[in-house]
Amino acid sequence: MRIAEQERDDVLLRRAAKGDEEAFTLLYRRHQAAMYRFALRMTGNTWAAEEIVQDVFMVLMRDPKKYDATRGALGAFLYGVARNRVMKHLERRPREIPLEEKNEDGTGSGIVLQDSATPAMWAEKRERRRQVRAAVLELPVEFREAVVLCELEELSYEEAAQMAGCPIGTIRSRLHRGRALLMAKLEILRELPRRASAAR
Amino acid sequence: MKCEEFEIIGLDAERDASLSEVQRVAAREHASTCSRCAALQDSWQAAGAELRAFAEDTALAQAPARVEMRLRQEFRTQHVTLKARRTAVVAAWALAAAAVLAGAVSWRNWRHGQHGEAANRAIPVPAASKLAESDFAARANRRDPAAVPSGTRQRALAEPGHPETLVADNEMSGFTFLPGAFATDTEEAAILRVRLQRGALGALGLPVNEERAAEWIQVDLLVGEDGLPQAVRLPR
Repeated sequence: MRIAEQERDDVLLRRAAKGDEEAFTLLYRRHQAAMYRFALRMTGNTWAAEEIVQDVFMVLMRDPKKYDATRGALGAFLYGVARNRVMKHLERRPREIPLEEKNEDGTGSGIVLQDSATPAMWAEKRERRRQVRAAVLELPVEFREAVVLCELEELSYEEAAQMAGCPIGTIRSRLHRGRALLMAKLEILRELPRRASAAR
Repeated sequence: MKCEEFEIIGLDAERDASLSEVQRVAAREHASTCSRCAALQDSWQAAGAELRAFAEDTALAQAPARVEMRLRQEFRTQHVTLKARRTAVVAAWALAAAAVLAGAVSWRNWRHGQHGEAANRAIPVPAASKLAESDFAARANRRDPAAVPSGTRQRALAEPGHPETLVADNEMSGFTFLPGAFATDTEEAAILRVRLQRGALGALGLPVNEERAAEWIQVDLLVGEDGLPQAVRLPR
């Protein structure tokens, strides 16, 4: 890369606006993963997440002047655009939960085994995570957003409030209610294997 | 701190930077004294562990490479289109400017021609018979020095570098007939004095010195009844 990695986002964006493809690519590579993760965790759908990421960067490409560097970081601006797209997507398909995540090549997403777990343990772990994901996706959108931003993206409350465009107290309240719902669901899920074990 | 307050701010008191140290201490103290809230915190920590495991699953998730490809393709298309549009606009303006310039030059030439014509209206129309009598032997063959009228031939001989320069000795003579024109066509003809570039003589079928083609000269045209020039001469 000819452009230094440390180059600021706004400088890169100005270059991209003048037709510098390399600058645009660098911006994309810098921010795409965060946007994709956020969209994926909010929608639970790889295709939707892909489409949202594409839309976000199309906005940046077609109308770079929409971003005002004096109002905050580019990442926050992109989050805002991604959030709008996510909300629109969820309005269209409020309860879309795919049965199986697919990779680009069409295979299942799977989990990389990092320990010497047995296939049974691996399968249990996989099933558990699927259930957690389903529990998160079943939360109402505003609670889900608070949980995704604060618990999964590990943003501070201030950052999450900024992203969601609401006061910090609102985030805290949404997070509280989201947690309560999530804990209830996860408690139920936790009980299921125990009961299954007991039945055996 | 009360249980309701603990549920809202105490569960994540250590992480919440917006809380004061006093509130954190109060949350810790409440959890140590209230078994229900302590159990709630344990439960939340267990749920948090589940969430972290889920987050790890997607921590390395990235948009597929095809998204980058599509965006780059779109970027190229957009900027090439913009460039082409700009080039087209510049070209259009350049063409318009050239057209205006050409129009202005043509108009200026036409105006000069009009002035010349007005000046020449004062010149009396010679009788065709007189023209026929003058030494227009050159009409047979302009390139043949022997056929050039006497006055013209004298001047041509005086300028060896420009043997084909046409110069008239007086108003009635010195005309060189253009190819295809005959003395009989000159009845009721008029003499028209015009200013043109030497190169334009080529269009009348006369030989032109290419080096001096851009030079502006004044010529007398013998214009027939049909409005077509029959003969030409260079006035002194």
